[in-house]
Amino acid sequence: MSRWEIQTNPDLCTGCMRCMLVCSWQYEKQFALAAARIQVSVADAEIIVSFLDDCVQCGLCADNCFYGALIKKEITEEAS
Amino acid sequence: MTVAGGFSGTILHVDLAAQQVRRQALDERMARDFIGGLGLTFRLALDAITPGVDPLSADNPIVLGAGPLVGTDVPSSSRIYAVSRVPATGTIGWSGAGGMTFGCNLKYAGYDNLIITGQSDHPVFLEINDDRILFHDAADLWGKGIAETTRQVNRVTGGSSGVIAIGPAGENRSVFSMAYVDGVSTLGRGGFGAVFGSKNLKAIAVHGTGGVRVADQKAYRSLRNELVEEIRNYRYLKEWQHMGMLKSFPVAPLEVYEKIKKRRLACVSCPVGCKDLVEIKDGPFAGETFRSSSAINLFTPLMYGFTDYREAARLISVLDDFGMDMFEFFGVMRFAAALFEQGILPAEENDPPIVINDLSAMTAWAKKTAQRQGVGDVLADGFAGMLSAYGEQAAGCAPALVKNMHPYTGPESALPWDLFGTMELGQMIDPRGPHVGSGGSPTYFARRPLDVFPRHMKRMGVPEQAVGRILPENENNETGLNVGALLAYSHRWFSILGSLGVCARGQVNRFYNAERCAVLYQSVTGIATTLEQLQHRAARVWTLYKMLNVREGVGRTADAVPERWVTQPGFKDYLTETSLTREQIEAMVSDYYREQGWHPDTGVPEPETLKRLALDSF
Repeated sequence: MSRWEIQTNPDLCTGCMRCMLVCSWQYEKQFALAAARIQVSVADAEIIVSFLDDCVQCGLCADNCFYGALIKKEITEEAS
Repeated sequence: MTVAGGFSGTILHVDLAAQQVRRQALDERMARDFIGGLGLTFRLALDAITPGVDPLSADNPIVLGAGPLVGTDVPSSSRIYAVSRVPATGTIGWSGAGGMTFGCNLKYAGYDNLIITGQSDHPVFLEINDDRILFHDAADLWGKGIAETTRQVNRVTGGSSGVIAIGPAGENRSVFSMAYVDGVSTLGRGGFGAVFGSKNLKAIAVHGTGGVRVADQKAYRSLRNELVEEIRNYRYLKEWQHMGMLKSFPVAPLEVYEKIKKRRLACVSCPVGCKDLVEIKDGPFAGETFRSSSAINLFTPLMYGFTDYREAARLISVLDDFGMDMFEFFGVMRFAAALFEQGILPAEENDPPIVINDLSAMTAWAKKTAQRQGVGDVLADGFAGMLSAYGEQAAGCAPALVKNMHPYTGPESALPWDLFGTMELGQMIDPRGPHVGSGGSPTYFARRPLDVFPRHMKRMGVPEQAVGRILPENENNETGLNVGALLAYSHRWFSILGSLGVCARGQVNRFYNAERCAVLYQSVTGIATTLEQLQHRAARVWTLYKMLNVREGVGRTADAVPERWVTQPGFKDYLTETSLTREQIEAMVSDYYREQGWHPDTGVPEPETLKRLALDSF
């Protein structure tokens, strides 16, 4: 599986948490916010997107974001 | 029969008086027969609600449920439904909401439904954290608004809970109080906030660490991918995401919206995100931010004569924080102003004088009503309370009422649409009372040509044999429109979406069709379901809802046509745009009943209908 650099733009995030759902289904075979390796936290006016240590940067979250808040970029040799 | 996915498998009974809970295994056959979500919640309400129960008594339960698709990544499958005997109308009413995460957290915690009974002897908030159920003292929260309550409850319960909360209007049992889901959605019209308040239940927080599985992963993946692809390729998706509800109802110019827009918010898995976080950038309220169910709500006061969008938004934020419905508030205020003018209400109570388009006056009256101060004590009881308190003289000043509630569309209502389609008829026929439309139909847009109706009706799952009744041809080969018959299928379509847990808003339900719903349901739950079976179960769901109300003695008189709707200028026929008569609207009601298989005069489901829908044993 390819690895990608996942860039986040929390300003575009609506807190729909679809990224968390697809992540948990891919890796845990169930939909579960608590099992996702990407975490979206909605607090008042701020939305924070973070990745847990076991995230493998597969890019599935970015592929499934409806809002363009997650963008995957190919990891170049220099960057890796 | 085994349910292999979608459902969590447990119903949680909560007794607030004893502070005890009981877990009941989901009856899988019942879940199948009533689909889940809205339908299963109606079915559980049948057993939980004692006929004749006082809506604000300890014995009136709140039955709450999330459908089998809630918690999956099916787009916009976030909906929860509540059913109770509601104080505004005295009927058995439903209310649905998305919100950010309440529904999916309920499922992840292991529950499809909650049944809340009893009355706490002190303010509490309920915390559901997987198997751990806690009753927290809520004395410190009592009196606080929706925003602060939601924030504090979320903080106390770990920061990632779904939260339903009430404000002072609910605490004080106003019949137009609402319960707010995650601060952005509402268990709205009917008075669910008051039902919570009557139980001393300030809030419910739920957090689940479990998950939802799907039965047939391969089929699900294929269906989901196809659906998502369609959504991504929808040519107006970016516009919807940018403008939200303002695109469908431009109550204010886009540039005005952009002045306060801070962030769009979405219910879990929703590709549109119709909720709003706004910030007033200048003027006396500069720097204030608040969440809203939608920007169009924030601009609603503009339709009541406000001229400053910042003041309009500010007033709605005040009403939201008190936990009060804006349509009913404005209707009640206009009625009260008329009563003051006629001298029916004492002039000294008109303090500050009611001025419908004045922020300061309306803010003061919102507070008086939510906190039942002075004459606000009567206003909080809505139109029924006011008519009861001020007698026949007052009735002469009353606006058009449906089940003693303020219709949101029609003559003298907030939304000045005058063509009579399914949404307009529906606000009169739904036992719950007038509320923003259920299900959708081609008549949601004015002057839509009839030749596009069949395509929309097919999507809604209208059976072939009903099309001729909905679009009948006369002897001159001219096509007519039977709004009553069409509404029956609009309600059936809503029953499907609501029971699965999918949002019924037009921006979202446009991507769904009944066939797609059947195969999605089957792939998630593992319950073999054809389109015809799903339609049959949906018909059962809505007829059960009717039966719940027939059991309460709610008859055809509750579906009466308001006089104001048929006096000039009243509602107009959707096709001909000629003024409608009472007889014409009453004929639509009978057509609706007939199409449902209910008695055309009384609205009571016919014995053969009950037998066909396997409801005859109830």
